[in-house]
Amino acid sequence: MATVQVSEAEKVYILHGIRDDLRVDGRGCEDYRHMEIETDVVSNTDGSAKVTLGHTAVLVGIKADIGKPRPLVPNEGYLEFFVDCSANATPEFEGRGGEELGTELSNTLYKVFNNKHSVDLKSLCICPGEHCWVLYVDVLLLQCDGNLYDAISIAIKAALFNTKIPRVRISTDEEGGKEIELSDDPYDCMRLNVENVPCIVTLCKVGHRHVVDATLQEKACSVASLIISVTHKGTVTCTRKVGGGSLDSESIFEMTEAGKRVGKALHAPLMNVLQQEEHLGKKKQKVGFLG
Amino acid sequence: MLKSKTFVKKTRSGGVMKIVREHYLRDDIWCGSEACTECKQESTVLQTDACMESSLCSYPHYLIPDTNVVLHQIDVLEDAVIRNVIILQTVLQEVRHRSAPVYKRLKDIIHEKEKHFYTFTNEHHRETFIEREPGESANDRNDRAIRVAAKWYSQHLKTSESDTDGLKVVLLTNDQGNKQKAEESGLLVYKFEEYIKSLTANPELVDRLALSNDDKNEITSSKVLFPEHLPLSRIQAGIKSGSFVQGTFRASRDNYLEATVFIQGEGEDGTEILIQGLQNLNRAVHQDVVAVQLLPRNQWVAPSSVVLQDEGAAKDDNVEEEEEEKALRISAAEAARKATGKVVGIIKRNWRPFCGMLNVSQIKESTRHLFTPADRRIPRIRIETRQASTLAGQRIMVSIDGWPKDSRYPNGHFVRSLGGAGEKDTEQEVLLLEHDVPHQAFSQAVLNFLPKMPWAITPEDMVRREDLRHLTVCSVDPPGCTDIDDALHCRELENGNLEVGVHIADVSHFIRPGNALDKEAANRGTTVYLCGKRIDMVPELLSSNLCSLRSNVERLAFSCIWEMNHEAEILKTRFTKSVINSKASLTYAEAQMRIDDTNKNDDITKSLRGLNKLAKILKRQRIEKGALTLSSLEVRFHMDSETHDPIDLQTKELMETNSMVEEFMLLANISVAQKIYDEFQECALLRKHPAPPPSNYDILLKAAKSKDVAIYTDTAKALADSLDVAKVDGFPYFNTLLRILATRCMMQAVYFCSGMDNDFHHYGLASPIYTHFTSPIRRYADIIVHRLLAVAIGADSTYPDLMDKHKQSALCNNLNYRHKMAQYAQRASVAFHTQLFFKSRGILNEEGFVLFVRKNAIIVLIPKFGLEGTVFFDSKDKVAPSIVFDEEGPTLTIQQHTFRIFDKVKVTISLDASNIQHQKIRMALTDPVIPGVSVPVPDAEPQAKKPKLDR
Repeated sequence: MATVQVSEAEKVYILHGIRDDLRVDGRGCEDYRHMEIETDVVSNTDGSAKVTLGHTAVLVGIKADIGKPRPLVPNEGYLEFFVDCSANATPEFEGRGGEELGTELSNTLYKVFNNKHSVDLKSLCICPGEHCWVLYVDVLLLQCDGNLYDAISIAIKAALFNTKIPRVRISTDEEGGKEIELSDDPYDCMRLNVENVPCIVTLCKVGHRHVVDATLQEKACSVASLIISVTHKGTVTCTRKVGGGSLDSESIFEMTEAGKRVGKALHAPLMNVLQQEEHLGKKKQKVGFLG
Repeated sequence: MLKSKTFVKKTRSGGVMKIVREHYLRDDIWCGSEACTECKQESTVLQTDACMESSLCSYPHYLIPDTNVVLHQIDVLEDAVIRNVIILQTVLQEVRHRSAPVYKRLKDIIHEKEKHFYTFTNEHHRETFIEREPGESANDRNDRAIRVAAKWYSQHLKTSESDTDGLKVVLLTNDQGNKQKAEESGLLVYKFEEYIKSLTANPELVDRLALSNDDKNEITSSKVLFPEHLPLSRIQAGIKSGSFVQGTFRASRDNYLEATVFIQGEGEDGTEILIQGLQNLNRAVHQDVVAVQLLPRNQWVAPSSVVLQDEGAAKDDNVEEEEEEKALRISAAEAARKATGKVVGIIKRNWRPFCGMLNVSQIKESTRHLFTPADRRIPRIRIETRQASTLAGQRIMVSIDGWPKDSRYPNGHFVRSLGGAGEKDTEQEVLLLEHDVPHQAFSQAVLNFLPKMPWAITPEDMVRREDLRHLTVCSVDPPGCTDIDDALHCRELENGNLEVGVHIADVSHFIRPGNALDKEAANRGTTVYLCGKRIDMVPELLSSNLCSLRSNVERLAFSCIWEMNHEAEILKTRFTKSVINSKASLTYAEAQMRIDDTNKNDDITKSLRGLNKLAKILKRQRIEKGALTLSSLEVRFHMDSETHDPIDLQTKELMETNSMVEEFMLLANISVAQKIYDEFQECALLRKHPAPPPSNYDILLKAAKSKDVAIYTDTAKALADSLDVAKVDGFPYFNTLLRILATRCMMQAVYFCSGMDNDFHHYGLASPIYTHFTSPIRRYADIIVHRLLAVAIGADSTYPDLMDKHKQSALCNNLNYRHKMAQYAQRASVAFHTQLFFKSRGILNEEGFVLFVRKNAIIVLIPKFGLEGTVFFDSKDKVAPSIVFDEEGPTLTIQQHTFRIFDKVKVTISLDASNIQHQKIRMALTDPVIPGVSVPVPDAEPQAKKPKLDR
């Protein structure tokens, strides 16, 4: 993971600031940096979103493809995750440098999103036991400036919201052979219900307090962080501790509570923004990657 | 401005793919109108003075037809009256997608300058491009695009020119909904029928209108006669699951209630399914691709041998039919039954315009008439016309529009008249059309690729060419030949050996791969020679001028040069592109005279003698290897120079010089075949002649046995040798007859791509490899071979299609088809001219030989005319005499007389013109005299009155 070198004096400065609820860039402990979201940025995906959080930038593209349902859950579709840590984001990712992080991220994402409580997997089923939609979620890290999990989860939620799956029909001939028929109207498509899709809130333990949306410098001062995925109702669906240091149970509880609070507050404006963008329809001005 | 077009597609593996295409919009697409001052266009297509005499639109106007109008009414649009039409890109694309032939015709119209058809690329125009809206179907979007473009035009023309002449655009559509919407947005819009009917000056156009849906209902009885065709999706599913099979529908020539469906199997072989009865045929027309369901085994039938023609007045009640169908169901032996099925759906219609004649309806005022196509395999077609009285007795063309399930006959419309039946030009046109010979004049797009005149050889041309202008090259061809493909030379070298050169016109220099000229030539495949007419494969400028190796002009050539010793052994072979200057264009007879005239000793004559000497050795060697010398009678008509009617006819005779040229052409072809195959194992274009299966020889063996002559058919060599010794005393013509029979046993030689086959042998020529190199002016295969050879020797560059064996294989299929059709057309032309000849001759008595013996007839060959005819021994109105047919002989015994193959008979020949569409030569027996069968010898030949000139 991208790291920065922080001197002792800087560390102390950051620690003391956080103790007084004042971070280096002027934020409070539970404040996010400025966030930008744009959906439908990659035209040849079925759904896509680009999120920038401070200087962190991620792009998520979702491709829907027809596959076979998993034998244990024949009436559900599923999601597949792939995180590409390009060397664009940081030189450390060059060669196979980003692979480990990529796997770690995609494993976490898999745990967080690929369950029927987060995404309505049943709606992805076309024909039980035979055909279902598989959503290939490709995450591309464009720039790393800390707090990747949160940025990625928001981008995935936005991309899922934006995803338009072509509507298909199953036709049966007299022999019982099944044929998938595609609607010929490109506007005739299925949308996903993203209401219960959680967002990830990463809390970094810095000194005795914890912060959300840590920058790289703050991260360098932290010993351990807690990843919490929270739905719009405040339900925690997944927690994970990362980092070398240890956390006592009391602070875990505190951090979880903070995460719930922050997460709940995050969903409402996010959905708002997404809906607003959706309403613009064709009038929407595209910003893209050069804006 | 950039837009993107998005659509989803199902992939072959069953997945779904989203495809995004970039789409650029521009603001420099001009309107193409002469009247427009706003657009900065360099040349205009549409005229200011766009007047068509329409009672609906008295002002000058441009027409914008929608897709369905173009698709269905292309026959009308092709008429010279219809000018100043804007074809929108939307329409063009849709037409292309839906029907390739119509698309090609539309493109041809657009290229024609006089028609003033303009293509407006509305899909890329900034103001006329529209995006598909939610809930809008693709068709609706296209209709809207057409309306938007029409609207743009009407506004554009209004502003660009003051309304002094008031140019307007008229949208033509047959779609009610579209029309209404267009009217709402203030456009001038008419139904196509409405508009055409308003063209008061040209009432004949109305006949060419294709029947649209709402007209059809009134024509037909409401009774449903045929089962519904299955939709394509059901058919595809059925084929996948194996319950249906897909095949090509082939109607029977002799029985309109019977057909076979040919199922392409693995590789060459295929199976056939029999279809019998109107219901089972289910409106399929000859050559359609259909889906067939097999009937249960107990319903299988045997093909009937009954000849049934769909004749008489229109039958709408099927009482009569049932009887006819009953006649088919003669209980057949179990063994004779064949797989029988029924047509359940049509996968692809293969309708083309059909030639034929009108059966004028008996009801006088009726505008609906039946049309009988010349091809017996095509059902009769119902058309609507007001000019029946003029069209009766003419050959006309008719297109099928559709075949509703409640109509006994398909509905069609009149396309054009070809002229009076029996007239020479008309009949020639008919036979070209019926044999699918592309014979229209070359389009401008094609002609654009011709070299500019005056043409001369440039220094660039010389870079890769050898200068052979100093050689004494000459050409030998039949008299009157203007497309000289080949020239020869022969000279003695200093080392005592002979240098022989075959120089072939370098057509591939002028026809570059992939351009319109090349595509046209590839499509035509071959030049078609009819009696007194030649249908060129390449435009005349090339065929008779620039490529023709005429004497005393410099011409580009592709040369094949051998060094040989005096025993005609090849010591060295060399290929090069060259420039030659032929010293003489001789006919076979002239060349022969020079060789024979001992007084002549000029270079040309010496060269010819050298060639002749070598050719004789080559021929001997070839025959020793087992090449066959076969025979077929070819006739040549002497044409009246004024009327072009045949005045005499003689069989072609062969001179030594014929075979001299032939030998060297064969040698060049073999040398080139070897070279290109060595160089390109996978994609050499070769020609093979498969050995016939032994059963083909049955008839020959039986015939020979009847004269106690032994013929061996184990190998080509054995056959050739035994044919050579086959002689019967006092019957000098026997050998020729035998060779004619042997020719009939042979297979068709075909082109193929070396990468797709492994049997290269040429049976007739006894050569392990063979190709066509020597006639690029008249055969497209030779052009490809030229290109391959040019690449092999580094004289030209290659291109992808040349090395693609699948594309080349597809090309070979077309070439084989065109060659076959050209041959049929040629034969039909000879047959027609023979008829003309006999028409002017009245009745003739001639001597002939029995060539085949059939169940109820003998086939007689008249050597004098190269004419074959059938003498029938039973006919409908006469009681059949006692006929005994012995298949073993084969012999046919009628009363006391027995006919055998090769019997000499006398017949009287006359023209039977009772069926004007199918005139034929009738032969009747005069000797031997068999009471009740033979006819008395007619009196002294009533030499026909001077043939009446038809025009």
